[in-house]
Amino acid sequence: MGAPVQSLASKTPKRAAQMQSSVNEKRHRRHLLGNKLSRFYFLFSILALCFVLGLVVVFIGKTALLLFAHVSPAEFFLSFNWTPEEDAFGAAAFIVNTLSLTALTLLIAVPVSVGMAVLCAEIAPKWLKSFIRPVLDLLVGIPSIVYGYLGLTVLLPFLRRVSGEGLGDGLLAAALVLALMVLPTICRISDDAIIAVPRKYRDAAYALGSTRLQVIMRVVLPAAKRGIISAIILGMTRAVGETMAVVMVIGNTPQLAKTLFTPSSVLTSNIVMQISNVEFDSSWNYALHMMAFLLLLISFVLIFVIRVLGRKRGDA
Amino acid sequence: MKVFKKLTVTALTAVIAVTASFAGIAAAADSLKGKITVNGSTALLPLTLQAAKEFQKLHPKVKIAASGKGSVTGPQAVKKGIADIGACDWDASIDVPGFKAFDGQVANKVAVIPFATIVNKNVGVDNLTTEQLAGIFSGKITNWKDVGGSDANIVVITRSFGSGTRVNYQAKALGGGDIVKKEKNYKETGSSGDMKTAVATTPNSIGYIDLVYVTGSDIKAVKFNGVAATTDNVINGSYKIWAYGYYMTKGQPTGATKEFIEYVQSKKFQNGSLKKLKFIPIAAMKG
Repeated sequence: MGAPVQSLASKTPKRAAQMQSSVNEKRHRRHLLGNKLSRFYFLFSILALCFVLGLVVVFIGKTALLLFAHVSPAEFFLSFNWTPEEDAFGAAAFIVNTLSLTALTLLIAVPVSVGMAVLCAEIAPKWLKSFIRPVLDLLVGIPSIVYGYLGLTVLLPFLRRVSGEGLGDGLLAAALVLALMVLPTICRISDDAIIAVPRKYRDAAYALGSTRLQVIMRVVLPAAKRGIISAIILGMTRAVGETMAVVMVIGNTPQLAKTLFTPSSVLTSNIVMQISNVEFDSSWNYALHMMAFLLLLISFVLIFVIRVLGRKRGDA
Repeated sequence: MKVFKKLTVTALTAVIAVTASFAGIAAAADSLKGKITVNGSTALLPLTLQAAKEFQKLHPKVKIAASGKGSVTGPQAVKKGIADIGACDWDASIDVPGFKAFDGQVANKVAVIPFATIVNKNVGVDNLTTEQLAGIFSGKITNWKDVGGSDANIVVITRSFGSGTRVNYQAKALGGGDIVKKEKNYKETGSSGDMKTAVATTPNSIGYIDLVYVTGSDIKAVKFNGVAATTDNVINGSYKIWAYGYYMTKGQPTGATKEFIEYVQSKKFQNGSLKKLKFIPIAAMKG
C-alpha cells in the first residue's frame, strides 16, 4: 500500500498530500476496527476451547458418577475382580497396572533420554547435534499405532525368544514400546533446559578445576533440575494416556500384572477394548467412563505439577 | 414456519410412499424416499455397504448411512432410535450368553457367516473335537501333546467379551463352554484383524475368526470334529460352526427400511454380491 502512494506524491505534491491524509485516516479507522474485532475473535477462540474442555469434564464426569449408584466406590477402587458380565466392577488391577507400567517406562526412558540430552547439549560436536535434534523431532511425530505395530511384529517375537515365554505380551513389552515413544519428548525438553543453564556457571566450575563430568553432574544437571523434571512429567502424561501402542502388546486381559510377562490391561487399553461392546445404560459403560475420568484427573494433576514447577523456576 | 411446511411435505410423501408400496403399485419403487441408518457389527458391514450401493442405484431418493462398531451397538442403536437397522452377529431378540434380549425387536436374517478355528502354522494338529476345544479355551488343556500335537504350551488368543464372533464361537464350537482367562499364554484381541495378526505371529497359538479372514500361509484352519471348514461343508450341514447375521429392527420393518431388507434378502443379491463377499446365502441352508 505504501509504495504506490509515495510514487504519486512525487508527481503532484499538494493533491497527493491531501489524498494521503484521507487515505491515512481511513486506514487508521480500519485498523482500529480490525484491532477491536480481532480482540473479540481471540477471546472467542479461547472461550470456545474452555467451553469444550468444560463439556468434556462435565459429560465424562456425569456419566462416570452414575456408576456409584450401582457399585460402591470401595469396590471400584479396591477390588481386583473385573468381570463385568457377572456384575463385578473392580478396577484396582487397571489402576495398579497403569501406575506400574508408567513407573517401568520412566525407569527405562529417563536415564537414556537425560543422557542423550546431556550429549546433545554439552558434549556432541555441532554436526552431530544438528543431526540428532531433527531425528528426535521426527520420532515425536510418528503415530503411536506404528510403534505398536513394530512392537507386535518385531519386539514380541524377540522377547519370546529371549524369555522363553509362549506369548511375550505384558508390562515389559508395553514399557519398552512406551519408553521408545516418550524418549524423544523427555530428551528434547531436557536438552532445552540444559542449554538454558547460564554459561557462567560452567565457566566458574571449570575455573575451580572441575572435570567435565563433575561440571555436568554437580553443576549443570542440578541447575536444570526443574526443567528436566517438567520434561519427565510431560513424558509421563504421554505414557499414562497412550492407548493404541499399548493395546497391541499388553495382552488385554483384565488381571493384575504379577510378572513382567503376565498378559494384563491398563486403564486406556481396557476402555478401548470394551467400549464398543457395552450397552449404553449399563454399569459397565459407566465404569468405563469412570476409568476415563480417572485418566483425565491424573493428567490434570500432572499438568498442574508442571505449572507449579515452572512458576518456581521463574521466581528464582 | 418454512421448516414445518417442509416437514409436513416430507411426512406426507413418506406416508404416500409407504401406502403406495403397501398397495403394490408398480411405480412405487421409483418414488421410494427416505433415510436408512444402519449401525452395528463390523462383520456385516461390507455386505451392508455393497447392498446400499446397489439399492441406491435403484432408488436414488433413498439415502443409506452405514457404520460399524461392536455387534451389540446395533440393537442398542435401534432401541434408542438412532438407527433403523442394527446389524448383529446373533439374534438379539432372544437371550444369548452375556446379553439380554432386546424386547420388541425383530431379527431379519440376511446372511450366513461361517467361522473357523485357526492355529499358527507351526502347530501340527489338524483336527479338534468339541470337547478338546472346550478344554483348551477353558484352560483345562494347556499342552498341544494332550490333543495329539508336539510338546508345547498352547497359547490361547480370544476376542474380548461382547464380540459377536466370540458369542457364536462359544455357542457353536465350545458347546456353550466358557472361555476362561489365564495368567499365562492367554491374550484378548479387539478385532478380527488383530486376531489374525496375533495368531499369525505367535507360535503355538490357537484362535477363531470369520472364515473369510482365513488366507495366507501363516495361519491354518483346523477341522472341527473331523470336518474341514469350507462353505460347502456349511451348506451340506456337516460343518457346524456358523451363524446367521441379522438386521435387527424395531417391530416389523416398514417403508424404505423394509424395501432395503427385502433387497438384501432377494435372490439376486444373495446369489450375486453376497456370495462374492464370501458370505453364504440364507436360502442355501436347509432348516
